Amino acid sequence: MSRFALEGVHILDFAWVGVGPITTKYFADNGADVIRVESAARPDVLRIGPPWKDAMPGINRSQFFASYNTSKKSIALDLGKPKARELAKRLVPWADIVVESFTPKAMRKWGLGYDNLRELRPDLIMLSTCMQGQTGPNALYPGFGQLMAALSGFYYISGYGPGSCTPPYGAYTDFIAPRFSAFTLLAALDYRRRTGKGQYIDMAQYEAAMQNLAPALIDYHATGRVLGPQGNASARYAPHGAYRCADEDGNERWIAIAVASDEQWRAMLAALASESTDPRFATAAARIENAAAIDQFVGSLTRAHNAHDLTAKLQAAGVAAYPVENCVDIHQDDNLEVFGFWHWLEHKEMGPSPYEGLEHRMSRTPGTLRSAAPILGQDNDEVFREMLSLSADEIEQLKKENVIF
Amino acid sequence: MPSELLKGFRLLDLTDEKGALCGKMFADLGAEVIKVEPPGGCSTRRIPPYLEDKADAEHCLYSIAYHSGKKSVTANLANADGRALVADLATQSDFLVESHPLGYLDSIGLGYDALTKKNPRLIYASITPFGDTGPGKDYNWADIITWAAGGVMYLMGEEGKPPLQMSLPQAGLHAGGEASVAMMLAHYPRQIDGLGQRIVVNMQACIVWTLMNEQAMPFLHGSHLSRTGIFVGSADARRKMVYECKDGHISILIAGGVTFGNSTKALIEWMHENGFGSEWMRTKDWISWVPGVFMKMTEQDYKEIEDLEATIQRFLLTMTKHEIYAQGLKRRIFLAPVATAADIAADEQLKARDFWMSVPHDTIGRTLTFPGPFAKMSATPIGSTTRAPRVGEHSDEIYRGLLGLASERIAKLRAAGSI
Repeated sequence: MSRFALEGVHILDFAWVGVGPITTKYFADNGADVIRVESAARPDVLRIGPPWKDAMPGINRSQFFASYNTSKKSIALDLGKPKARELAKRLVPWADIVVESFTPKAMRKWGLGYDNLRELRPDLIMLSTCMQGQTGPNALYPGFGQLMAALSGFYYISGYGPGSCTPPYGAYTDFIAPRFSAFTLLAALDYRRRTGKGQYIDMAQYEAAMQNLAPALIDYHATGRVLGPQGNASARYAPHGAYRCADEDGNERWIAIAVASDEQWRAMLAALASESTDPRFATAAARIENAAAIDQFVGSLTRAHNAHDLTAKLQAAGVAAYPVENCVDIHQDDNLEVFGFWHWLEHKEMGPSPYEGLEHRMSRTPGTLRSAAPILGQDNDEVFREMLSLSADEIEQLKKENVIF
Repeated sequence: MPSELLKGFRLLDLTDEKGALCGKMFADLGAEVIKVEPPGGCSTRRIPPYLEDKADAEHCLYSIAYHSGKKSVTANLANADGRALVADLATQSDFLVESHPLGYLDSIGLGYDALTKKNPRLIYASITPFGDTGPGKDYNWADIITWAAGGVMYLMGEEGKPPLQMSLPQAGLHAGGEASVAMMLAHYPRQIDGLGQRIVVNMQACIVWTLMNEQAMPFLHGSHLSRTGIFVGSADARRKMVYECKDGHISILIAGGVTFGNSTKALIEWMHENGFGSEWMRTKDWISWVPGVFMKMTEQDYKEIEDLEATIQRFLLTMTKHEIYAQGLKRRIFLAPVATAADIAADEQLKARDFWMSVPHDTIGRTLTFPGPFAKMSATPIGSTTRAPRVGEHSDEIYRGLLGLASERIAKLRAAGSI
C-alpha cells in the first residue's frame, strides 16, 4: 500500500485564485503530483494578496496564495507565447487530470481547450471551473467569490433584518465549490479506471454554491416566499445568537448560545445563576415568539461572564455554547490544537508561516501538508529538464525569449 | 436520471443535519444511498421552514432538498433487532456516513471496528463538531456553535451590534461536502487494495477554512479584523463593497492595479456618461494605484475614496439591480446584484444553461423546482433526481431485496417496533 491515497495521480493545474487551486490542494495533500502552470507575465492574483510575510508584499510572500497551494510544484511560463503553450502541451500526456479556472475563452484561444488536449491524451479528465459556467450569455462574467456570494444569494440572507446587508467575510463561495469539484473529479478518476473513459467537467461556481441554498430556492419556486435576512433569529431555538460577555484586554467578547428545549432553558438559567418567571419565556414556542426580548434578557446575564468559562459551564449543563472566536482565538483553540489543525511550514522565502491543516482525518492513508507552497517557477528545472528532457542550452534560450521565467 | 458515475456503489446515510448533503451528493452521482432513520423519522424531517407552512415531514424543505435521490429505511437503534439490520446493511455497503454523538454507534455495536470486521472494504466517516479527541468532543451542538467556533461569525455584522449567522445555517452543509470529498479520497486506494478506512470530519475546521486570507493576519501583519459590515479588506485597503440601489443592494469591488483598475475605470466612465463623478476620477491612473499593497493610503487617498464611494452611491440609486447588473456585464465591471431567490429564479444565465430541475412530488401532489446539478459532465451527466423518500418508504424493498428477509419476518420486526 502506498503511503498516500493518491500516489501516482498526475495533475496539470492551470487554475488560479480560489476554487481551482483549492480543488487541486485536496489531491496534492493526498500524494498526487500537482504541477501548477503559472504565468509569470500575469501571476495568480493571490500571489500579491495579503497577508505577506512581515507585512511586506512580494510575489513569493503571500500566505493567501500559500494556503491553497501546499504540496504542489510550480513552473512559470508565459502562456501568451506559442512556445510556452507547446511546452505545456507536452506535459498533457503525463496528466490524468487537467484543471483550469480562467474565463471560458482563454484556454480555447490558446489551443488548450478540452478538444485540443484530449488529442494528446484520449482518456483525459478535464475540469473547467469559472464563475457562471462555460456556456450561456454570462459565461464571460469576470469576478471573484465576493461577488459570486452576492449573486448566488448569500449576501441577501446575511443581515439584521429587512433592508440590512452585512455580508460574510471574503469570497464565501470559493469555499463551497471546491468540495463539489474535488468530489466530482475523484469520482471521475475512479470511473475512468473502471471504464477507460475520461471526460470534461464544466463547473460554475454559481451553480455549485447554490446547493447550499437549495431549501430557500425550492421554496421560492413553489410558493414565492423569499428568504431574507433575519439576524440570528431561529424558528427552532431561543435564545439563539451571540451574547456579549466580559471584555478581555479591551476587546469585546461574545458567546454563541442555542437553546432548544425547556430542559436546556432551565439548565442555562441555572448556569447563569438566574431564574425567570416571565410568561414570555415559559415555553419553547413562547421563547421563539419573543426572541428579541429573550436576546436582551440573556445578553444582560452573560455580560459579566468570561466567554470561555461560561462555555464550559453551559456545555457541562447540556447547553450548546461556544465563544465567538476571532482570528487570534482560533490559533489558540484547544479543540483545533488537539485535532492537530494548524501547521507551521517552512517556506523558501517566507520562512515559517501558519497554514490551515486538513478538515478531516483518515485512519489508513492520511493526507498531510507535504510541503509549503512553491515559489514561482520553483520546479522549472525538474519539469523542463527531467520531464521534458530539455537541455540546459534550450532552457537558457527559452528564458531569454521570456517563455520560461 | 442521476449520473452513472457512482452507479453500483452503496452508501448508508446515518447523518442528521450535520451531514445530509453528503448522501445527496453521492445520490446525484448515481450511488444508491440508503438513509437509515428511526421509526417516525430523523430530526432532519422536522427542520423549519415548511412548504406552505404545513409542519410535517413531507413539507419539510430541508428534507425535500437534501434527501432527494435517497431511499429511506427505518431501524430502531434502541433495540437489538434494529441494530442487527443496520449491521447487515453495512456488510453490503461501500460507504457509511454518520453524525451521532461520539461513541454512540460504538456502544451499540455499529462502530467502525465492529462493522469493518465483517466488511473490511467499508469506508466509514464520522462527522463531528470538534473532532474525536479534544475537550469539545462531546459538546452540545447547533449550527450556530460551529459558525462561532470557526471564526466566521466574529467577522459578520456591524460594529456595536452582535456577530451574525446567515439566515440559512451553513456549517452542516460544509461538513457534508467535506465528508463526500474525504470518502472519495479513501475510495481511490480502496479500489486498489480492497481496504476501507475510518474518516473523522471536523466541522469547526471546515468553517475555519472559509476564513480565506484572514487567519494568518495576526501573525504576519500583527492585526486582525473585527466585524467589517459592508466594508472589505484590511485597514489599509478598506473599501465599501455594498451599495444601495433603487430596489435593493449592489456589491462592487473598487480597487486599482492590474486586476481591478480597468473595472474601476469602466465604472467611472459609465458614471461620467450619465453626468456623475469628477474629472479627477477619470484622469487618475487607477492601474498603478494600489494602496494597501505597495503603498500606504495617504490623506488624499482617503478623501478620494470617500468622494468616489459617495458618487457611486448617488449613481446607483438611480437604477434597479437588474439594470445595473446588465451594464456591469456589458462593461466588464466587477459588480453583482445582492440577489434574492426571486432574482436567481429569473436569471437568464441559469435558464440558458437549463439549470433548474423539475422533481415530481406525488407525496404532496405537486412538482417542485430544484437547483440543478453542481457540475456538467460530458460522459456521465447528472440529470434528474427523485423526490425525498417518505420515512421508511423503502424498508420493505431493502430488507427483502438486499437482506433477503421474508415478509413475515419484516412484519414481526415492524410489530416489535424495530422498523
